[in-house]
Amino acid sequence: MRRGAVAWGIALGAVLVASITLAVTIGPAEIRFDEVWASILSHLGLGASPLTELRDGIVWELRMPRVLTAAAVGAGLALSGAVMQALTRNPLADPYLLGLSSGASLGAVSVILLGAALLLPLAAFLGALLALGATLLLASALGRITPTRTVLAGLAVSSLASAITSFVIFWTVTGDSYREILSWLLGSLAGARWPAVAIAGIALVVVGIPIMFTGRLLDSFAFGDTSAAALGVNVQGTRWALLAGTALLTGAMVSVSGSIGFVGLILPHAVRLLVGPGHRALLPLSALVGAIFLVWADTLARTLFDPRELPVGIVTALIGAPVFALLLARRRADA
Amino acid sequence: MSRLAIALSLASAGLLLGGCAAAPANGTDATVSSVSIDNCGTTFSVDAAPERVITIKSTSTEMLLALGLGDRIIGTGFQDGPLPEEWADSDIPVLSEMVPGQEAVLEEEPDFVYAGWESNFSAEGAGERSELQDLGVDTYVSPAACKEAAYKPAKLDFDEIFDEITEIAMIFETDPSELIEAQKETVAGIEPDDRGLTALWYSSGTDTPYVGAGTGAPELVLETLGLKNIAGGIDDTWSPFAWEAVVDANPDVIVLVDASWNTAESKIALLESNPATKNLDAVKNSRYLFIPFAAGEAGVRTAPAAADLAAQLSALSF
Amino acid sequence: MSGLEAHDIRVKAGGRLIIDGIDCTVPPGTLAALIGPNGAGKSTLLRSLAAVEKPETGEVSFEGTPLLSLPRRQRARLAAFVEQDAATELSLTVEAVVALGRMPHLSLWEARDAASRTIIGESLDAVGMRDFAGRDVTTLSGGERQRVLLAKALAQRAPLLLLDEPTNHLDIRAQLSTLALLRSVASTGSTVLAALHDLGLAAAWCDTVIVVADGRVVAAGETAATLTPELIRRVYGVRATVFTDPVTRRPVIGFGEL
Repeated sequence: MRRGAVAWGIALGAVLVASITLAVTIGPAEIRFDEVWASILSHLGLGASPLTELRDGIVWELRMPRVLTAAAVGAGLALSGAVMQALTRNPLADPYLLGLSSGASLGAVSVILLGAALLLPLAAFLGALLALGATLLLASALGRITPTRTVLAGLAVSSLASAITSFVIFWTVTGDSYREILSWLLGSLAGARWPAVAIAGIALVVVGIPIMFTGRLLDSFAFGDTSAAALGVNVQGTRWALLAGTALLTGAMVSVSGSIGFVGLILPHAVRLLVGPGHRALLPLSALVGAIFLVWADTLARTLFDPRELPVGIVTALIGAPVFALLLARRRADA
Repeated sequence: MSRLAIALSLASAGLLLGGCAAAPANGTDATVSSVSIDNCGTTFSVDAAPERVITIKSTSTEMLLALGLGDRIIGTGFQDGPLPEEWADSDIPVLSEMVPGQEAVLEEEPDFVYAGWESNFSAEGAGERSELQDLGVDTYVSPAACKEAAYKPAKLDFDEIFDEITEIAMIFETDPSELIEAQKETVAGIEPDDRGLTALWYSSGTDTPYVGAGTGAPELVLETLGLKNIAGGIDDTWSPFAWEAVVDANPDVIVLVDASWNTAESKIALLESNPATKNLDAVKNSRYLFIPFAAGEAGVRTAPAAADLAAQLSALSF
Repeated sequence: MSGLEAHDIRVKAGGRLIIDGIDCTVPPGTLAALIGPNGAGKSTLLRSLAAVEKPETGEVSFEGTPLLSLPRRQRARLAAFVEQDAATELSLTVEAVVALGRMPHLSLWEARDAASRTIIGESLDAVGMRDFAGRDVTTLSGGERQRVLLAKALAQRAPLLLLDEPTNHLDIRAQLSTLALLRSVASTGSTVLAALHDLGLAAAWCDTVIVVADGRVVAAGETAATLTPELIRRVYGVRATVFTDPVTRRPVIGFGEL
């Protein structure tokens, strides 16, 4: 089993590299594969670009950051989803469970409507953290914080934040600014430029990679808190640290791309089918699968109705919802 | 023959027989007959010219003002921008900044509600058309904005705008000929550019621009100007359009729609700061044409707006 | 060699005092039974002794080392605790579950080495579950799962082993083999304390007993000497006679009418 996981890791890593390589050459503008890569390499200091300044800009300023952001966001969301499912001992959990996405949406929508779209990532991130704080406060007000209480508190906070967001939209939206908002709520990578790559990439490296190493800790929770404590695990501390880490990671991703759904929910299950539920393999492989999935989902989103674009959240929902239904059916059959 | 054509013929006959049908204050004009209207699928008859009109969106307000019917407007809602200078001092009461609710509308006791979009007539908006009709309030939507396939214009042209002017004039028992003549003159006076220039009609959007596409008012204006719309191949009035496609097409000219919620300045700032678009010829050389949002939708301002854009275009240096 | 020593343990829960000042000792190299009626506080006491939950007051030390103040991983290398009726929804393999027992000895990123794999194999052998190594733990019966969790504790290779009702779901053969296993673990020098509800098993297999009732130690000491009919009547409210098994020479308890 362990050797299988390593083999999968190598294979998926190769697929990710290939995906990025290919996805960057696909788009409404017809640019040849070799020209795309010559252009990219020229920016890395190797040779000159064969493209005009404008077409070079398409490759380097639009496609490259977008594909890289898709990879980072996909990895981060899938990883957060797997951790969240372990922490709440609920296989139907997703990274947005604790009010993170509703809070981020509220922050983002407020800023869009105030016309200060430049502050969007910051507002979304702060919104996510505020919602998380509210969730934890609410959960602790009910007594000792347990996974179930946290999930319920998260639902309450999500509903509240969503309601406020809807109200704000309904009340103040003018002309066609609703399009911008809708695109954000559905999740979109259309605005991903190099700063987005930086935000998502740094979050993934600084927070995501350490989280990937906590697989053994998560496995120790398999038989409950007492068993984990008996193995020498700091149960409370580990939970809080992982929760904080997941919140930071998810918050960063959502601030860059809106709340893209189904990635954090479905992909960990797909990986479990490949390598089983052990988290040492599940966490890093989920990240890889998440990256590959979102790179291709976004490629679909921007080429399916070329030259029009779909928000990528629609594509992930269209793929994810039927898969989710299948998952539910399987669980009912097993139960 | 379409009902509209029949109605028009009858109306013209009536006009010829009875002379100019100006505002019939005492209703003794024997030539005025009941007018049958089929508007976006809702049919109704108008026996007398409406006296108490609520307009929703700028195009409706402007249409009535252009026909000299401003005194019939008892309230406006959801206006897209300030009225043009010529009508700036019309003292028209504002009912609501947003789409007015059903009660707010009925409270004013209108006999006619004239909307710019079909969606203005909904349960959360001014009310369902059938319900308003049942209450004796006639409802009208700008035909250019009809959604149903049978009524939606395949591709907007000036004739459709003139048809709307004519139909409204018929309902209000006034003479549209002066207005239509003026509009035709304006259009005729525009000399289409012959340099084969391409254009982008940038309406809104930051991550993905929302642009004028192939079948609506933006396309009509661009064609009148002799400009080729880079999004003209899309079968829609407006549409999202990838930045990549914009950059690939490298339009010669960019039309910037100026709205209070999304100004032309902010669009310029975005174009200049986005590393992919700042190298566009139009951006580097500031080849922008400006149009207020309210003038960007099909209505009486379309022709004058086209003329204004033509003047701006000829002032650009290439 | 002092084995396990606990002084003045007090544990509260929901405002109630569950453990009301307990002292107890378990000599090293012995298998001791913790017995008492339901609700006496056996599980709570075990958790405090294993330092899995911190008592309000009291000290617990093993071989002179105070357990309650030790860093967690160090403590887990000294003391292993097997919970009662632990279950999981995760479809881990039996081998993966037993491997968890090596956690106190491996840091987060260390992979399992050959030594670990040997220990895991030996632990599975000890409980007779070697053939189940690849099985999904959620498909096991209660008894099989219990044995896997015991193997996990054995894999910890901790000199102090605390178990809460380890014979609960087992059939008679598995019960006896578990107790025999615990006896042999004790005979290698480990200190083993198991909460048992079956007095007969406690009498037959355990060298010493600690009897608790209402959160207090009622009696403690060598089994034969401590498990008297009077004690049984006082603690359990039933009439009993204590014989000596002629073959094993261990106490056997016969129960009379109430």
